[in-house]
Amino acid sequence: MVDSDKKEFRKRDFLYVIPLWLLSLIVPDADDLYSYRSKEFKRRELFYLGALLLLPLIWRDPHFHHLMVLGGIYAILALGLSLFLGYAGQISLGHAAFFGIGAYTTAILTTRYGFPPFLAFWISPFIAAVAAYLIGRPILKLKGYFLAIATLGFGEIFQVIVRESTALTGGVIGIFDIPFLAVGGFTFDTYLKQYYLTWGLLLGLFLYSKNLVRSKMGRAFLAVAASEEAASTIGINVTQTKLGVFVIGAAFAGFAGSLFASIMSIANPEAFSLNLSVLIVIMVILGGMGNLYGPIFVSVLLTWLVDILGKYQAWSLPIYGVILILLLIFFPDGIGSRLGMRLIYLISYWSKKKRREEGKV
Amino acid sequence: MSLLRVEEITKVYGGLRALDHFSLNVEKGIIKGLIGPNGAGKSTLFHLISGIEKPDSGKIYFKDKEITALESHEISALGIARTFQTVQTLSNMTAIENIMAGMHLRLKGNLLSSGFWLPWTGRAEKGALNEAKEILDLLGLLGRWKSPASQLPLGKQKLLELGRALAMKPELVLLDEPASGLTSAEGDQLKERIHQFKRDGMTFCIVEHQMGMVMEIADQVAVLYNGRLIAEGPPDIVGRDAQVMDAYLKRKRSDA
Amino acid sequence: MDSWTYIPQLLASGITVGAIYALVALGFVTITRACQIINFAQGEFVMLGGLLTFFLLKDLTPSYPLAASIAIGIVVMVGFLMYLSVIYPLRKAPMLIPLIATLGASIFLSNTSGLLFGTLPKALPPFSGEHPFQMLGVSVLPQSLWVLGATFLLLALLYLLSHRTFLGKAMEASSTDPLGADLVGISRNRMVFLAFGVSAGTGAIAGILITPVFFTSYNSGTILGLKGFIAAVLGGWGKNTGAILGGFVLGILEALSVAFIPAGYKDAVAFAILLLILYFRPKGILGSPFVDSRRW
Repeated sequence: MVDSDKKEFRKRDFLYVIPLWLLSLIVPDADDLYSYRSKEFKRRELFYLGALLLLPLIWRDPHFHHLMVLGGIYAILALGLSLFLGYAGQISLGHAAFFGIGAYTTAILTTRYGFPPFLAFWISPFIAAVAAYLIGRPILKLKGYFLAIATLGFGEIFQVIVRESTALTGGVIGIFDIPFLAVGGFTFDTYLKQYYLTWGLLLGLFLYSKNLVRSKMGRAFLAVAASEEAASTIGINVTQTKLGVFVIGAAFAGFAGSLFASIMSIANPEAFSLNLSVLIVIMVILGGMGNLYGPIFVSVLLTWLVDILGKYQAWSLPIYGVILILLLIFFPDGIGSRLGMRLIYLISYWSKKKRREEGKV
Repeated sequence: MSLLRVEEITKVYGGLRALDHFSLNVEKGIIKGLIGPNGAGKSTLFHLISGIEKPDSGKIYFKDKEITALESHEISALGIARTFQTVQTLSNMTAIENIMAGMHLRLKGNLLSSGFWLPWTGRAEKGALNEAKEILDLLGLLGRWKSPASQLPLGKQKLLELGRALAMKPELVLLDEPASGLTSAEGDQLKERIHQFKRDGMTFCIVEHQMGMVMEIADQVAVLYNGRLIAEGPPDIVGRDAQVMDAYLKRKRSDA
Repeated sequence: MDSWTYIPQLLASGITVGAIYALVALGFVTITRACQIINFAQGEFVMLGGLLTFFLLKDLTPSYPLAASIAIGIVVMVGFLMYLSVIYPLRKAPMLIPLIATLGASIFLSNTSGLLFGTLPKALPPFSGEHPFQMLGVSVLPQSLWVLGATFLLLALLYLLSHRTFLGKAMEASSTDPLGADLVGISRNRMVFLAFGVSAGTGAIAGILITPVFFTSYNSGTILGLKGFIAAVLGGWGKNTGAILGGFVLGILEALSVAFIPAGYKDAVAFAILLLILYFRPKGILGSPFVDSRRW
């Protein structure tokens, strides 16, 4: 009898242990600060790169490709915000507005003014960056909560303006028939091509971010997050640094928006609401502050989650909300943090519990 | 040559006169001690000099150039470094990164050049890393160069903050209670370091609560009480000054 | 200059809406004073109050007061539940996370209501008479008077609660000095728990008052919550009196703006006011105990 109990114990355990163990292999260890920000490209990075390049060829389901494209777009958004929130420690609850600016810029330029998509693709992040600069100058003087609220206010104003300027933006209905992105004669019209486009862009933006993070600018961001007072005494212009990260984050969002517009072919105000801003912030938090990989993983994860929940149709949104809240409660430092520790803790907890129960019997 | 000159500074918080027409002069190449009972306004003075707060009246000059209205980061760029009474290490970074952060002003690079990793960035980073390791070694922290700053014990964090200030290669260093939290062995080590840096040409202004430490290494001492300067001069003379003793022991003349 | 003739009328409706904003703002301030967290689900309490009353009235009992009381009770329960399931587990996390969690809760509550109650806007019958009457040359709905009356009554009650009852004083103590209050035996967690209940109740009452005048649907809570929050900041963040004043000022300004700006932009007015206040006077009109003391 005791033997069968032991076997049962192992089987049940696997349910918890295996996913966590797999996760800890794949998700980068957020706790090793220094090697994280140094140049060393470990084998893990090569694994990611390889997987990224080969995955869509192995798994040829177009739905999968579509999901990964969306995941990639959200990942770009999360990457941009992670510099602002995860590194510089500033809260922005209006980031979706820059996403929207990017999308609408592309939409308007290509459909109303006949710009070639490739040109619109590069102008969009620029416009988003300019908007961020103009908004950031006055707003970034605020601290903590007030900054969060001000960015929220800006995001809402953006939505209202987009909804009301019917002539320019198509109002509530939005803009349709946005052409695919095309370079030379090559058009990104299938999900597979869009996959490489999106993840290629993400790779480039990621390299840029990693460079920033391991240079003096990255240290400046972190210093601002740690202590603005101390940062200013080592010569860091806090306001300008915050503004710089804000603009970069907005530019990333602008890129993401432009891709979104050309891939979805439509742009409407509902897609750029407070809900999206909150979602991006959650992605960064769950990915881990001070982490570039984490937010990317979480973006893809959450995109898959939404897709899976789609089966439950109407109930998907509330369930999604509950899952997000639960994740926040259990992983406030990010999903990747202390995974190893949690694993050990869980295993020892279960084995002790089983031993106690067996002892009683 | 006068490196730092504070003229008739007044700073009032609500009803409290933290500094009252206070003046001070710091010559180049000396160690100036600043002592006085708690609440006398010493840290406030540092906040005003480093630009974190602005005085209500009075002027501050550095190398004969007025810095009263300048922003904190501009003042740092001129060559003034400081540490904080409540240790403000950059707790989200490792020890080595804290030191490298101190080199911010001395490294070339901005958002574009660093992001695209233009050729000089790599070289600058390498140079910074090596220099930072040297500084850590000097302070006896090299063994923990990769530890997150928040995991270091308080005494080592204070040394780390000092290292960060020194990494700026400043001309004037403002140390706010550097010895508090250090063991006596660490305190002695600190004194030696300060002497060494003084020989290298740095000027120090040290606020201290503990008389022992500051009286031993300072060339000159100024005493602050209730926002006013009540004594100034070489340590041994100031130490025997009757007014100073009254201030510390809070003896009231009328009781005598 | 046609729009000028509408001003008195706009003022009247602005005051009515302002009263609601004031109540919502009070809800925000109550919670923030207790635990420094901004509860973005506050608007949802208002929405639930209105919607639940509607359905209770339809399905359970024809008695308006009874339905309203039960609805308020349910919403208070929801407030307590939210504290227990979201705020309490996150009490040690850095402040950003509970904030985001309340946003998540807001999304959850509004979407679940949408599912349970349908997405069409609902209206409640007014408390007395449907027909507006003339007062000072302006057309006033009887419901508006109820709203104002109830608001002031509630304010008086809350004032008495916080200054005259032991419980109220305990809550005040806990918000001013959590550690000190803890040391004399006032459990911080319990005070925050109660604060959530009070906020939820206040919000529910506001919802019941306003639904006869404006329709309520599953997503009206979000924007209402945001505006209530703006009102609280406008008047003086963290002060009850500030919340009230801010509510009325916001309501009036918003109503007046319709005379000068296309109606669709009305929502943006509130946010523009927010940005202006944050930039020029973050303390708010009456000043704020939080901004200077660096409590956050």
